[in-house]
Amino acid sequence: MQTKIVSKNFEIPHANILEVALKNGRYTSLEKLFTYQPQEVIDIIKTSNLRGKGGGGAPAGAKWQLASDFAGIKYLVVNADESEPGTFKDRQIISKDPHLLIEGIICTCYAIGANSSYIYVRGEYEEFSDILQAAIDEAYAKNILGDEAKYPVEITIHRGAGAYICGEKSALLESLEGNRGHPRLKPKSPEPEFYFGEPTLVNNVETIASVPFIIENGAEAYTAYGTDCSCGTLLFAISGHVQNAGVYEAEFGVGMWDYIQKLGGGVKNGKKLKAVIPGGASTPILPAHLVMEAKLDYENLKSLGSALGTGGMIVLDEDTSMVKALKNLLRFYHHESCGQCTPCREGTSWVDKTLDKFVNKTATLQDLEVLKSVSKSMNGQTICVFAPAASGVIDGFLEHFEAEFLECIV
Amino acid sequence: MKILVDNRPIECKEGELLIDVLINNGVEIPHFCYQQDLGMDGNCRMCMVEIKGQKRPQIACDTFVCENLEVATKSEKINEVKRSILELELLNHPVDCPICDQAGECKLQDYYMDYGLYESHLCTPKTKKGKHIDLGSNVILDQERCVLCMRCVRFTSNITKTGELGVIGRGDKARIAVAPNHKLQNPYAMNVVELCPVGALTSKDFRFAQRVWFLDSAKSICHGCSRGCNIFIDYNETKYTNEKVYRFRARRNKEINLSFLCDFGRLSYRELNESADCFVVPPRNDGYMGSVAIQNSDEMNHCERSTVIYSSNEMSHCEQSAVIYSSNEMSHCEQSAAIYNSDFVRNLLHIKKKVALASPSLSLEQLQAIQEFCQKYKVALFSLPYIDESFGDDWLKTNDRSANFAGVKELNISTCQEEFESSLKSAEVVINFDHNLLKSHMRGERMRGSALGVPENKNIIHFSTSKCEHGTVLAIANFAHESGTLINCDGLRQEFYATKYKSEAPSLIELLEVLK
Repeated sequence: MQTKIVSKNFEIPHANILEVALKNGRYTSLEKLFTYQPQEVIDIIKTSNLRGKGGGGAPAGAKWQLASDFAGIKYLVVNADESEPGTFKDRQIISKDPHLLIEGIICTCYAIGANSSYIYVRGEYEEFSDILQAAIDEAYAKNILGDEAKYPVEITIHRGAGAYICGEKSALLESLEGNRGHPRLKPKSPEPEFYFGEPTLVNNVETIASVPFIIENGAEAYTAYGTDCSCGTLLFAISGHVQNAGVYEAEFGVGMWDYIQKLGGGVKNGKKLKAVIPGGASTPILPAHLVMEAKLDYENLKSLGSALGTGGMIVLDEDTSMVKALKNLLRFYHHESCGQCTPCREGTSWVDKTLDKFVNKTATLQDLEVLKSVSKSMNGQTICVFAPAASGVIDGFLEHFEAEFLECIV
Repeated sequence: MKILVDNRPIECKEGELLIDVLINNGVEIPHFCYQQDLGMDGNCRMCMVEIKGQKRPQIACDTFVCENLEVATKSEKINEVKRSILELELLNHPVDCPICDQAGECKLQDYYMDYGLYESHLCTPKTKKGKHIDLGSNVILDQERCVLCMRCVRFTSNITKTGELGVIGRGDKARIAVAPNHKLQNPYAMNVVELCPVGALTSKDFRFAQRVWFLDSAKSICHGCSRGCNIFIDYNETKYTNEKVYRFRARRNKEINLSFLCDFGRLSYRELNESADCFVVPPRNDGYMGSVAIQNSDEMNHCERSTVIYSSNEMSHCEQSAVIYSSNEMSHCEQSAAIYNSDFVRNLLHIKKKVALASPSLSLEQLQAIQEFCQKYKVALFSLPYIDESFGDDWLKTNDRSANFAGVKELNISTCQEEFESSLKSAEVVINFDHNLLKSHMRGERMRGSALGVPENKNIIHFSTSKCEHGTVLAIANFAHESGTLINCDGLRQEFYATKYKSEAPSLIELLEVLK
């Protein structure tokens, strides 16, 4: 069931060491890369239908084109600020096959015409950041990176300071520029991101790590996997009440329940499934009956009222208290709201505090109304999608498990 | 180009910000974070409007107008959006308006009355934050009242570029602060008080001094330097007190000061209060010229209020002299401004060697009246600027600290210091039209770097808005009581207007008219 494209070298011991990496096929795509013109590389990525793997699933090729076409000094920023609860795929790439990421960065920089790239690593990933830095140092020493390389690329690691919102690309760039990590206002028409005013491409680690395979084997080899609209593979992560929590790469479109059974080893301790949060905390929850029909691709999960997100599934068994599960999530949103815009700053704290009353079983019907109305106020009225995500989480829980909340009302 | 706002066509230019178009055309659009001179930030989400063809409500401060734009600002849907945002803005805000200094000019209050009027749904504890934090530069912060619109932060980072203020903490714990062991410290710091739409930042100088609904405003111009920043004078008069000026506020002028003032200018309102009761001049005991003494008002039975200059003869003689601005009987002196013996002044004016110095901060109208007066009495008229090399900066403040020196030049009044000094030496009578240089030796030294004293044996007549250390003082009204025209350092001609209460002292122009 597993399809190993990005995770091909994960089980090879010491694949993070350049010598081992080279023996296992790293940097072989570069030879082919330099036979193409940069625009040809972008076209290959467009044909491959590669989608952003940080959660949004936007077509990568179009983004590359925007950055490439915009006049100015180009930058590539790799988003490794992986902080979404239930998501732990990027750190696998960084720690187990960092040279794949570096290879991908070289390909991407070549395509968009950038010579500098930054990897924004989550603050807590100190250990993984060190592994990545060691790999970068080796690559510099072997002239894979740096001025002497065939195509000069500089890579700088920047470690975040522990804010979830800095995984939002514009907040990430603000942070990288040395400002407070606040998301920027969204542009009215398509344009690249900007780092100190220069056109910049921001992509997730896994997106960049998928590039070498496509360059080496062609776009068709990638579209051979997955569904018509969701091509290729994703490093799905599975955690919660499952037997074998972990990261397993699979094609888009595999059955969710199938995946949980075969790769996750089924629900822990033989209990029954209650629900699954499909793609990181910010995707609306799916109750068991929907899990059975769910397929792991963007379109199918959207049709079920949820989203694929980062593909990090959190499995909840029959004994889970949905009230406490929601409290857990809302505490996270309360803690991580950046505080820039009003609905999010005040809304996330209000719903979190209100949920305390449900957990303590002292809630009233008015509190339930508050949850619903604040969720509505948080949706669609903010700069970034943080508050709408929190709102979607609340709505999902109330849609499928309102009975449990009503039980907490005195 | 036209756009439709609530089905009303409004003329505007392509690419203008929608919120500017709405504000400039008097369409009510609630907002906290947007400020015309700080630009957009988009954080408060109060200026939501419905735009035809857009699924979600949009913020007007991040919408540029384009052909055929149709905007709804008052639909039921948008009012509900505003209500919900306002509820969140007010969620953790203390409900103690009666003891808040901002009450009466608070956007939260205003918008609650316009769009809120709901019952509170809050059943959980409010978030606690810091109270009465002294940021420095007369600015006090109450974090609980803050709506985090970031205007103050943007002012210090984008306008003054001093960057003292920032946000610390996240989510509902986010709050405005200065870095540890740092202070808000720049010559324009107090602008943040005026920029703050709520009661979070208040001025140590003004807070709790007066409720704003008891204040009147007059459109005026700051006289602190030659920039000519536009201001409102906020003042009032109560049953038991004279008119008092409480503060200056910036009056927006895109060509000069935008919405800002320097702290020096902002606090210079104090001089307007000083002048009204500072004519405490020691009496001349030597009986010089025999006819004039200036006496402290304390010694007169009923003159509780003003400076009184009167004849040294018996009080009863006052009635016989040319008394201006006095009622006939001394017992009514409480109402009067200044009483003086105009014959004495007239006598002095017939002495041959005379020189006059006019303040370069007087209005064009006043300077013209002085010119005519001096021509009539054949007085050599001069004006010297107030130059202070340490005062100016690269923004609003100028080294020339006179409000109308450009006006002095326009009227061709001599500004030659050497000529003035030689005239002064030979003159027997010196007439000072409110020029600080001659009011005291000390002031002279401070303003000029060189002492320009008036020798003891000269008669000096001051037409003054403030205290003078010697000579005959004829009180005149300060600029809060005057209307007039000034020309600023860039040649811009601007008018200012008087407050509505009559000054105790006569206006200079009226006084000169009488003396003619």
